[in-house]
Amino acid sequence: MRRTMLYLPGNNPNMLTRGYLFGSDGLILDLEDAVAMSEKDTARILVQHFLKQGEFGDCEVTVRINGIDTEYWKDDLAAVVPFPALHGIRAPKVDDATTVKIIDEELSIIEDKNGIPVGQTKIFCLLETAKGIWNAYDIASASPRVAAIIPGGEDLTADLKTSRSYEGTELEWARRMMVFAARAAGVDPLDTVFPRVTDDAGLRKEMEFVKQLGFAGKSVIHPNQIPIIHDVFKPTELEITKALKIVEAAKDAARRGQGAVTVDGRMVDIPVVKRAEYTLIRAGLLEVK
Amino acid sequence: MNTAQAGTLESMDCLVTVSQTAPGVGVKIKITGSSAVRFKSAMEKKTAEVIASMGVKDIDVSIQDNGALDIVLGARVEAAVKRMMGGDK
Amino acid sequence: MAKNALGREIPDFIEGYGKTKLFQGAFALKPEEGYRAGGKIRCVDSTCTDKRVRDIKAAITASGLKSGMTVSFHHHLRNGDFVVNMVIDACAEMGIKNLTLFPTALFGVHKKLIEHIKSGVISRIMGSVNGPIGQLVSEGGMDVPVVLRSHGGRPRAVVSGDVHIDVAFIAAPTADQYGNICGTQGKSACGSLGYAFTDAQYADCVVAVTDNIQPYPAAPVSISQLSVDIVVEVPSIGDPAGIVSGTTQVTRDPLRLLIAKYASELIEASPYFKEGISFQTGAGGIPLAVTAFMREAMIKKGIKGSFGLGGITGYFVELLKEGLVERLMDVQSFDLEAVRSIGENPRHIEISADWYANPWNSGAAVNMLDVVILGATEVDTNFNANVNTEADGALLHGIGGHQDTAAGAKLTIIAQPLLRGRIPCVTDSVYSVTTPGEVIDAIVTEYGITINPRRKDLLDACSAVKGFPLVPMEELVSRAHKMSGPTDPVETEDRIIGVVEWRDGTVIDVVHKLKK
Repeated sequence: MRRTMLYLPGNNPNMLTRGYLFGSDGLILDLEDAVAMSEKDTARILVQHFLKQGEFGDCEVTVRINGIDTEYWKDDLAAVVPFPALHGIRAPKVDDATTVKIIDEELSIIEDKNGIPVGQTKIFCLLETAKGIWNAYDIASASPRVAAIIPGGEDLTADLKTSRSYEGTELEWARRMMVFAARAAGVDPLDTVFPRVTDDAGLRKEMEFVKQLGFAGKSVIHPNQIPIIHDVFKPTELEITKALKIVEAAKDAARRGQGAVTVDGRMVDIPVVKRAEYTLIRAGLLEVK
Repeated sequence: MNTAQAGTLESMDCLVTVSQTAPGVGVKIKITGSSAVRFKSAMEKKTAEVIASMGVKDIDVSIQDNGALDIVLGARVEAAVKRMMGGDK
Repeated sequence: MAKNALGREIPDFIEGYGKTKLFQGAFALKPEEGYRAGGKIRCVDSTCTDKRVRDIKAAITASGLKSGMTVSFHHHLRNGDFVVNMVIDACAEMGIKNLTLFPTALFGVHKKLIEHIKSGVISRIMGSVNGPIGQLVSEGGMDVPVVLRSHGGRPRAVVSGDVHIDVAFIAAPTADQYGNICGTQGKSACGSLGYAFTDAQYADCVVAVTDNIQPYPAAPVSISQLSVDIVVEVPSIGDPAGIVSGTTQVTRDPLRLLIAKYASELIEASPYFKEGISFQTGAGGIPLAVTAFMREAMIKKGIKGSFGLGGITGYFVELLKEGLVERLMDVQSFDLEAVRSIGENPRHIEISADWYANPWNSGAAVNMLDVVILGATEVDTNFNANVNTEADGALLHGIGGHQDTAAGAKLTIIAQPLLRGRIPCVTDSVYSVTTPGEVIDAIVTEYGITINPRRKDLLDACSAVKGFPLVPMEELVSRAHKMSGPTDPVETEDRIIGVVEWRDGTVIDVVHKLKK
């Protein structure tokens, strides 16, 4: 599950120590925007020490590296990829499939050098330009490493020559595009951050909208946003009851060697069972496979 | 004399200042700040370990602590020493 | 030298304190047969219709205060208080020395007393010593040890005669010329005067110091003309900015919210979360957030509480207005909302420290309490808590109602981050004990909820909740060790600079002078 992925500033010991305690599904140790130019080296070393010895609970751990147009990105990768605590990297400013391939190759070199199965490190792609959004499907399918695509917020609106509005009108199409491209490529569509950290009601409203669009989760910049997002993802009692029935019926059918079954007079096939299982996972009633 | 710094004075962090000293002077560590009273020995040990692992023999280390755990202290000392050795990159 | 019930070494006799009684257990000691102590019998000239005197010095003279006597103060004006400094300054100018200071608490604003400690005007303090005074005492700046008592232990000591108050100076936000006083009105309004009641009743002489004289009879009355001997008007008794804070806001700090959420989950899983629940949560960041989470839970489950106790905040006043609690029992009003409410709402009642917490009366309010949320600088594997000393061994905090509420409440929760910087709040053995593990039921940290194995019932109730974040004590303490590393011992000398009394007057621990 990637309902929430919490950004932790890479030069902040307090958040790197405690960030995993706030219950997000994933963490993003940030070496890019949250770190001043003058502290790129110290943050990289700090994040490396945390990957080596820190604790992250059950979180999926990623590091946001600096863009491939900077002098830092290769050092970033070399510093973090060798550690088993790392699941993936979040790459900023991915404009096209070529960007993914460049990172993919560099990852393979580092993995190979460190005796890590090549291809293990996932890539989470941030699509922060109009070009990136336009190439979403190509990006999502550029490498088997790609785990998710995420639209940019501030950078994207700037590139669109507009500004961020309360309603998020300017991001609406990009968001729909993300869901289609991601689902078509079989990766997760994850939403951009909600910047107004004290606006709980606004966050809930936006989250309900993006969940309905089909997003699998959202990037998070403040721990207090996590319970609100999880709450929106939480299935209703009715959904849970129905899902339990479907999963039970499917199990029963499998035991008896039957393919399709009916529940409450409705045909239940594999996609329906899968969706029911996903509902139970979100309700905490089923372990993630 | 080559001097470098790394870290901050934020909560759970520390500011490490290192200076290269003349050969034979050895490793000198000075710790002040919030955890200094109760964790001096542990912090000195960690600092000495990091310095030794980096092959540095003669250095003055000054740590202004605001509650850094060993994991943070180690990273800050390493960063400061790297900065000292690599110029002010 | 003998060991008390917690294995703490306590000398039989402590210079400047006297013979010690060893702590035997939270509820072990009962008072001997006998009668309550009392102040002097008074008789006022029936032609006297005005108890006012010219100024503080005249009040001191009229009170009969002399060198070597005991003077008491209450702390409702908190960090805005002018009265303690004003009275002691006057004593110094009048050549009075060797006073025993018996405040209900001291604050940063009272650091001015240091000069009077050094010059011998004050030779002894019975009460909490915070900040710079605490540092001074810890480094051996007083010849006799300070005596720390809880909010309930203090009135017990007065009522049972352990401490005799010669003159009580009561900061009175409103008074009339015949000595009827209250705290809810006037420019220096502080709300409840709860801590001053016992002093007013038991002191030989009571001086009301006010900056708001009203015509006789002033009403409402908190402490009446029956026990007030002298009234003195001064330009100002305090700085309103330091007396009460603005409306207390619930924290947005994620760490505190996380701990509060866990504490709230524990309360909800406990058998006490039902219609009529009573609780005390104080004004700290975590406890206030617990109140906010409990409010949500109470609304969701449709239950209502009976009363909120102790130091009262605007947040509690909201609960009262919303009908989520029926009454507030207020010994100290923390903010403007609380001050306003206690003055206006008959269901928000002023209670004395005796009523609040004294173990030796016909029943204190803490005995009726279901849940209390407390803090501590450290807790050990036996659940003993230390609130008095800081990590460096310096005596820096008073006991407050810690012992009393812990002893009274059915569910006592210590909610605290495991780490403050590098310093862990859970340790193998606390440096100094304030409250025994016998009366502490759970510790809540950012790592989860740790229940005292003594409370098997609670453990069972919580284990029944799916996904309940239980963390055994062994795991918590080993985590603390792992993260913080080994500690260096606090270096002390033999001399005792602080005596920590359990609420029944036995010595639960002593604090030694720090080595320079």
